[in-house]
Amino acid sequence: MHINQYFKFLRRFYRGNLAASIGSIIVATMILLSVFAGSIAENDPNKRVARGHQPPSAELLLGSTRSGKDVLSQVLHGGKISLLVAFSAAMITTVIAVAVGISAGYFGGRVDEILMSFTNIVLVFPQLPLLIIIAAFVGQVGPIVIALIIGLSSWAWGARVIRSQTMAIRNKEFIIAAEVMGESKLRIMFMEILPNLISIVVGGAIGTCIYALMAEAGLEFLGLGDPTIITWGTMLFWAQSNSAFIVGAWWDMVVPGTAIAIFGGGLALLNMSIDQLSNPKLKTGGYIKTWRRMKSDIEARRTEA
Amino acid sequence: MTFILRRFAFYLVAILITISFNFLIPRLMPGDPVDALFAGAQGRIPLETLQAYKEMLGFVDGPLWIQYLKYMKSIFTWDLGPTIMLFPLPVSELLSVKLPWTLGLAGMSTVICVMIGLIIGTFAAYNRDGLVDRFMPAFWAFVGAMPQPVTALFLFFVLALSWKWFPLSYGANPDLDPGWTVEYVSSVLHHAVLPILCMIIGGIGAWIFNMRNAMINVLGEDYITMARAKGLSNRRIMANYAARNALLPVVTAVSMQIGFVMAGAIFIETVFNYPGVGLLLFKALAARDYPTMQACFLMIVLFVLVFNFIADLLNLWLDPRLRK
Repeated sequence: MHINQYFKFLRRFYRGNLAASIGSIIVATMILLSVFAGSIAENDPNKRVARGHQPPSAELLLGSTRSGKDVLSQVLHGGKISLLVAFSAAMITTVIAVAVGISAGYFGGRVDEILMSFTNIVLVFPQLPLLIIIAAFVGQVGPIVIALIIGLSSWAWGARVIRSQTMAIRNKEFIIAAEVMGESKLRIMFMEILPNLISIVVGGAIGTCIYALMAEAGLEFLGLGDPTIITWGTMLFWAQSNSAFIVGAWWDMVVPGTAIAIFGGGLALLNMSIDQLSNPKLKTGGYIKTWRRMKSDIEARRTEA
Repeated sequence: MTFILRRFAFYLVAILITISFNFLIPRLMPGDPVDALFAGAQGRIPLETLQAYKEMLGFVDGPLWIQYLKYMKSIFTWDLGPTIMLFPLPVSELLSVKLPWTLGLAGMSTVICVMIGLIIGTFAAYNRDGLVDRFMPAFWAFVGAMPQPVTALFLFFVLALSWKWFPLSYGANPDLDPGWTVEYVSSVLHHAVLPILCMIIGGIGAWIFNMRNAMINVLGEDYITMARAKGLSNRRIMANYAARNALLPVVTAVSMQIGFVMAGAIFIETVFNYPGVGLLLFKALAARDYPTMQACFLMIVLFVLVFNFIADLLNLWLDPRLRK
């Protein structure tokens, strides 16, 4: 894409779309904060720097945990791993969903039947309880295993959406033309079809990111994660097992909780805007206003004439 | 009829896969499956009893398929063995005590989500770019992306612990005798408010979005223009013409959500110490009580499948085209 085109696209995406702007700012800020965690936070997240459960103060901006560790530094460093888990799970999911969805939609027939009946069965299973049971039997699982289990088990919905979109463009002229020109099936699937699905694929990936963030926090909250690795989920776990709320140390719980909530919320707003990109009918706000104004202008002119 | 039979067969396959999964997973884990399954039981259960229960769960000497058949038999006779954490209480008995609580939460919250979510979604789509349309979907998208444990913890902290509006734990006041008395029922309802609120916060977004999107698609149809041309009232068009037809894809899309609701129950019940299947699963996890864990999982899957089947029947009722 030419650089000017790129800016044009961005302008179109953000214009009159408050949700997209807020979402992007939140997500970008959180990513930057956790990437530069090492230089922002003064204290080592694993080191005891104060007495236990110190409230927020000028010295410790977000207070200390029960074992006297800096909550600010923990939430920044923990974010790094939580975000990595969410992004890598989303990546795995997207790759599987794209592969299954496009091949089912493109080949049709037997391939479609087999892939989709498998997908439907995966889809109907409650994923989080499934994750919990697997994690319970594997024992305490680290972030990598969590990302793997989430990634491998949550592709079904995306595969179905991608399949139906593939079927919608499967018989368009440009696909037929590519077939007649003798392009390989793999090339048609990934160079001709995939670019047309990009907004759905990206939307699905962000959706999985939210889900993975939730699932990771949930698994670790229940104590199924590796409690020695600092993530937002294990921070919640430690706060809960030290009854932070009951003893009045609300910051121990509220800080990681808010971090997850804000990041997930930012992703959700972004996701909503991407949905509107792939289906402009769903838009709200400025666009509709412009459209209404144009319509009433035309009607006014018509009555004049 | 063929539609129902086909769906029924599909769910039957799903149940068989769940059972097989439950059967396989302890056998796939490293080490002796029997030891893994009963790891927490050593010392608490007499050896002969343990042996008998192992046989009932299919851990017999013999080829895998005989073990599998035995396991199937114990599942279908609802003979799920003893719990380890509360030995010798049978798992099935424990489950039947806990299940009504979770069903109550899930049912109530789903009903409320359906009612409020559909109304907001319909209204937002019909009055495009009004205040509701601009802020409601975005707001619920933001709030709904909060992980369930976080929502539950925040509500717990603010409404139960700080403001003391709602009780901190249990399903009802433990000092009261269970029964159909006004006192007991109101205590149950009072205890259920926060857990149900959590479930609504997590689940209502899906109803709003799906309803809004479906409505927007339906509103472009010709029969809506026709209804307008006939001069029908806005309310009539919105409710009887648009919403009714938009409902169809919504039911299918949201029936997928029930698994999410059940998963949410695990965290919510844990935070509020609510005596349902979710809390039971959490306690079983903590006690490494594998038989109870598996039974809870089976229960949750069964519930989700039944709910999906109900959604299929509902679709059949809503859409005459499916009745061939």
